[in-house]
Amino acid sequence: MSRKDSMFIAAILVLLTTLLLPATGIAELTETEVSESLICYACPGEPLNIDRCSGGNQMRDVIKKMLAEGKSKAEILDYFVGQFGDSILTTVPKKGFNLIAYTGPFIGLLVGFPVAFLVLRRWGSAGRKQSAEQTSSEAVASLDDEMRLRIEKELSEMDEED
Amino acid sequence: MITFGILSQIAALFFTLLSMGLLLAGLGRNNVRLVQAGKRGLLSAMIATTLASIALAYLFLTDNFQVEYVASYSDRALPIFYKATAFWAGQKGSLLFWAWVLSLFIGLVIFNNRKEPDDRNTPYVYLVMAGTLSFFLFLLCAISNPFDTLNFMPRDGQGLNPMLQNPGMIFHPPTLFLGYIGFTVPFAYAIAAMITGSTDAGWIRKTRVWNVLSWIFLSIGIILGGQWAYVELGWGGYWAWDPVENASFIPWLVSTAFIHTTIIQERRGIMKVWNMVLVQLTFILCIFGTYLVRSGILQSVHDFGATGLGGYFLFFLVVVTIGGIYLLAESYSEFKTPGSVESYLSRESTFLFNNVILLALAFATLLGTVFPILSEAVTGNKITVGQPFFNQVNTPLFLMLLLLTGIGPLIGWRKASTSNLRRNFLFPAIVALMAGIIMVVFGVRQSYALLAFTLAAFVGGTIIQEYITAIRSRKKLTGESSPGAAVKLLWKMRRRYGGHIVHFGLAMMVVGIAASSAYKLEKQATLKQGENMTIGDFTLEYENFRQYEKYNRTVYAATLGVFREGNRIDEMEAERRYYVNAKQPTTEVAIRSTLAQDLYVTMPGIGQGNEITLKVAVNPLLIWIWFGSGLMVVGGILAIIPSRRRES
Repeated sequence: MSRKDSMFIAAILVLLTTLLLPATGIAELTETEVSESLICYACPGEPLNIDRCSGGNQMRDVIKKMLAEGKSKAEILDYFVGQFGDSILTTVPKKGFNLIAYTGPFIGLLVGFPVAFLVLRRWGSAGRKQSAEQTSSEAVASLDDEMRLRIEKELSEMDEED
Repeated sequence: MITFGILSQIAALFFTLLSMGLLLAGLGRNNVRLVQAGKRGLLSAMIATTLASIALAYLFLTDNFQVEYVASYSDRALPIFYKATAFWAGQKGSLLFWAWVLSLFIGLVIFNNRKEPDDRNTPYVYLVMAGTLSFFLFLLCAISNPFDTLNFMPRDGQGLNPMLQNPGMIFHPPTLFLGYIGFTVPFAYAIAAMITGSTDAGWIRKTRVWNVLSWIFLSIGIILGGQWAYVELGWGGYWAWDPVENASFIPWLVSTAFIHTTIIQERRGIMKVWNMVLVQLTFILCIFGTYLVRSGILQSVHDFGATGLGGYFLFFLVVVTIGGIYLLAESYSEFKTPGSVESYLSRESTFLFNNVILLALAFATLLGTVFPILSEAVTGNKITVGQPFFNQVNTPLFLMLLLLTGIGPLIGWRKASTSNLRRNFLFPAIVALMAGIIMVVFGVRQSYALLAFTLAAFVGGTIIQEYITAIRSRKKLTGESSPGAAVKLLWKMRRRYGGHIVHFGLAMMVVGIAASSAYKLEKQATLKQGENMTIGDFTLEYENFRQYEKYNRTVYAATLGVFREGNRIDEMEAERRYYVNAKQPTTEVAIRSTLAQDLYVTMPGIGQGNEITLKVAVNPLLIWIWFGSGLMVVGGILAIIPSRRRES
């Protein structure tokens, strides 16, 4: 199979995958899109889109009514926050102490990546030193053919493993 | 049988504690016979735990409702296979199941080592595992005994939660437990290596199969949980970032990082300290997950509530963490090994960055999971952290990880040359670019979805290209046919291609997740018989309604004709079930799955004159998630099949 053939097959696969997607974009605002942002007031901790209790039904009825009135998602959420406070939302409001939840992982990355770079830099200098030593020792003692073949064989076997 | 069960549990705890004493004495006096006796004690504990488990299973199968646990989770009408699985439906049975599997794993480790004389590490390995087992057996004997009896004999039990009466119940909890418990083995080997100062990769080689197998079980458990939620809960999704789901996902992420860095230690002899950190973290997170679930400090759809065990798990967690940190600090200088690479572009560096991202993901998930507690402690306001938060924070991290999934396996060790990069990544980059362009042309505008499809195409491209190149080389060398070379390559280099298959499966999952999240269609309607509703390309017609009794439930079923472009292409049946002993009816989802999309129907309400309310969703490419996860499991299994050369 040539590279052109591979490219052709890949293009067909990508095209087929695209065709499997529905032609329409995101549908109009649904009850679920709103309810997945809310917690059932009667079952603390349970998202409204999963909950099936009667308390949840009351909330869902309110959502349906407000959607029918043409209210936006933000307006509906504001209404529930006004009734029950921030704890009715599944999304943590981006303010005050809550910002730690949003920024924490990215601060972790901001620390993690430089640490990884530092580790790599240290490995890099050790690697260059090793290469230099290797080059000078190669100049002194060249490997005989038998040894070279053996090393190549073992290296290829190691490659098979990973 | 009740007394037999109680005595078996006590005997198991006795044998475990005795073994720990014998192993400690054997180590202190350097006496092999005492160590051997300790091992025999552990095998006796295994037999006793097995007998206790048989006793509990027997009590379930014989409807012995005098046992409080049996009365709480079973009833006479429950089908027999659910009676057997009710064993692990609650807290007490889960603990016994955990102890039983751990005792079996200890037996398996002893059996695996039977041909080798005990080295200085193995007694410590058994000691750590026995310590963990004794903790669970103590809880069973003293705090949470599944054989506790009621002071009267109820005529019937309370029955099993209808949500749990699903085939998922048979496999989801046990596979998760197998994953959690399996990580005890590498953890025990790591602790032993730190105590004895064994700095070689011996413990990693010995526990490689345990690592990957536990990871496979954890993956299967998580996926089956998702599948169960999808077919049973009726909300149309498969993952809700619920605290209990997160509790299993966090150790999965860390163990994934660990599996990658063990490859570096095996190949390059570096990252020894880091591997010690990761294996301990994985084990601690498995216990922490159990603590979260059992303590009741977080509210979850799994609804375990406060069980009174939180304090004990917290204590065990603190002991393990402090002990681990102490040992690591003590042995740090011995395990510290300077690494060496020749370039920032090397496989080592991609693995390092993959670790950073995997840990950031684990940290983000952990932070979101415990944030309600933190928020309450600091602000006095217990907020809820749900799906939108996790999607928002974790999606960019996942996309970065996906990019590295494509790069990592094909980049050279120590140093990647320009020709290596061009050879390995030109074709996948073109495929990814083409994928992106085609997606845009066909109307994909959601940025994360677009990125996810493009990166998944990149990962797929790298793997397909590598496989095709390898097949070509093998054909040239051996003269085999293309299919022959393809199969032989998979088999002969199964560790390598096992990994590739896992990555390919991941790319498939990403496509499924992105498509089903960004392009889901939903609609709700109330229909009288003969009426229809339309969603996407489909029209559903309400054709028939029937009511019947089956097993322990009354079923109300609506038959729906599925039409596309005016042609009747299928029939679906959505159900509403009323179980004996259940307080509320449940919906039974009807799903029509194809490669292109799932048509997902639930019936949340039945009104007068059998008028039905339907909630219908079209989930594009959702089946790709299940296929992809299946591939991940297959790849993992392929990677751990031992090679003959390695054995010899």
